[in-house]
Amino acid sequence: MRRVLAAAAAGLLASAHAKAQEPPADVPTTSVDSALLIYHEVNRVQAIEPEVNVSHKFDEDSTLNFGITADSLTGATPLGAVPSTLPQTYVRPYKVIPLGTPVTVTTASGGSTVVLVPPPTGAKTQTLAASTIVPPNTYPLDHGFYDQRVAGHLGWEQALTSNLKLDGGIAYSKEHDYRSESANIGVSQDFNGHNTTLSAAVNYESDLSFPIGGTPTPLTQMNGNWKGPDASLHEVDAVVGITQVMSRRWLATLSYSYSDEHGYQTDPYKIISIVDPASGQPTEQIYESRPDLRRKQSVFFDNKVHLAADVISASLRGFKDDWGIKSLTADLRYRWQIDMNYYIEPHLRYYTQSAADFFHYYLGSGEVIPQYASADTRLAKFHAQTYGVKFGVPFNETSELNLRVEYYDEHGNGSPAGAIGQLQQQNLFPDLKAYTLLLGYTFAF
Amino acid sequence: MKSSCRLYSPKRLTERFEMRPWRPTGRLLGALSIGIALFGSGGCTVLGAKPWEHDLLAERAMQVSAYPIEAGMDDHIYFSKEASSGGRSFAGGGCGCN
Repeated sequence: MRRVLAAAAAGLLASAHAKAQEPPADVPTTSVDSALLIYHEVNRVQAIEPEVNVSHKFDEDSTLNFGITADSLTGATPLGAVPSTLPQTYVRPYKVIPLGTPVTVTTASGGSTVVLVPPPTGAKTQTLAASTIVPPNTYPLDHGFYDQRVAGHLGWEQALTSNLKLDGGIAYSKEHDYRSESANIGVSQDFNGHNTTLSAAVNYESDLSFPIGGTPTPLTQMNGNWKGPDASLHEVDAVVGITQVMSRRWLATLSYSYSDEHGYQTDPYKIISIVDPASGQPTEQIYESRPDLRRKQSVFFDNKVHLAADVISASLRGFKDDWGIKSLTADLRYRWQIDMNYYIEPHLRYYTQSAADFFHYYLGSGEVIPQYASADTRLAKFHAQTYGVKFGVPFNETSELNLRVEYYDEHGNGSPAGAIGQLQQQNLFPDLKAYTLLLGYTFAF
Repeated sequence: MKSSCRLYSPKRLTERFEMRPWRPTGRLLGALSIGIALFGSGGCTVLGAKPWEHDLLAERAMQVSAYPIEAGMDDHIYFSKEASSGGRSFAGGGCGCN
């Protein structure tokens, strides 16, 4: 869904130099953009994701676009708990069966052992739980992680005048434990002989979370019992921007985005350890808790500079939210046009963020448990680099085959100051390393 | 047109924001305003290109969203691994991956 949102917003920002002209009769009216992504995290998640987008121009002013994508993920993801010098056992619910059904399965996905949760008196169903033993001095991961997603979008773009354009669309995404529906609308206006474009767009998104095992009550102890009902999240996003042709060779875009999220934003699968204040050994594992309200803002500045034949793309993004997170992203690409037949594009990206106010590696036993607490390292302070290279073969103005390989390396503080007891010898934030292979093919007819 | 340039002078905007107490939100909006002022001065004939100079800008590599699927997949990956989103596009994730 982010593709359609990106395309919708970027499309509005893109028309500064796209002055409407009557195309020759032989200009293609339909373009097809496709890609296959293979994502590999070292010892973590693996994913494969194909996507196809189609755009058709009915006439010079009206364009229909639609697309579909699917992805499949398997592997291991952090639980949020701290490692220990002792073996640790984690139990999570994963299936409800009628009372009295013989249990023939002994192992669940990820190598867990199936255990039967004693049903309460009078219950007509019983819960199967997956029990996982994490070896000593091992960062706790949920090896049973899997997900499948199918998403689609449909949009329309309409030029009302040579300078004014409207667009809108809807999108839908479904996972085995999550559903998202959204609608967006935007407007853009050209000025200064199509050298300046002002744009604005809004998006409304309604999500429903129905985690495997139900929605846990935040800050309660992790167990194998089936949990609470589905939880919803509503989000309004707005983007305003300006695109300016700076010169014949330089295009710049500046945009501001604001997002307001209301509803369930806790990760239902994440836990946080409560540790003994002297030894640092985990004494309890409780489900994490995040605020129901989040407001995000970002400023994005993008530049494209055409040299003699090569193109430099450089962008900066500043981000902050009311969870206490601030981040900066710098992105640089150099499209080295070897000759008319192919190009090579090295890519560097640097990202750094501060921690959320409620991020804790762990909580101390005996301390007052805060209202919000999460040990999800995605909310921790860290920085990351991406190194990539893309090789592209444009066949003509409307078709291209390209292949991109990238490496992502994320570093956090695995030895926080003041770590207690045995936690001083543990790595509380192992590096995340991921490789992506992206094959893209575009053609028009 | 000249008076319009002075009205949106980056210097004036900078001075205006510097007089306010430091706030991250103010800095974000200040940066945006200054940028808009700079861009807005495109109407002052300094910036821009003549219609017959849009040849390079029409190339695919010079489009704001030249490779939308690639950009969207990147956003999806980073959304699932980092706490930030938005900027180039809407901040909504459309998935339960974060």
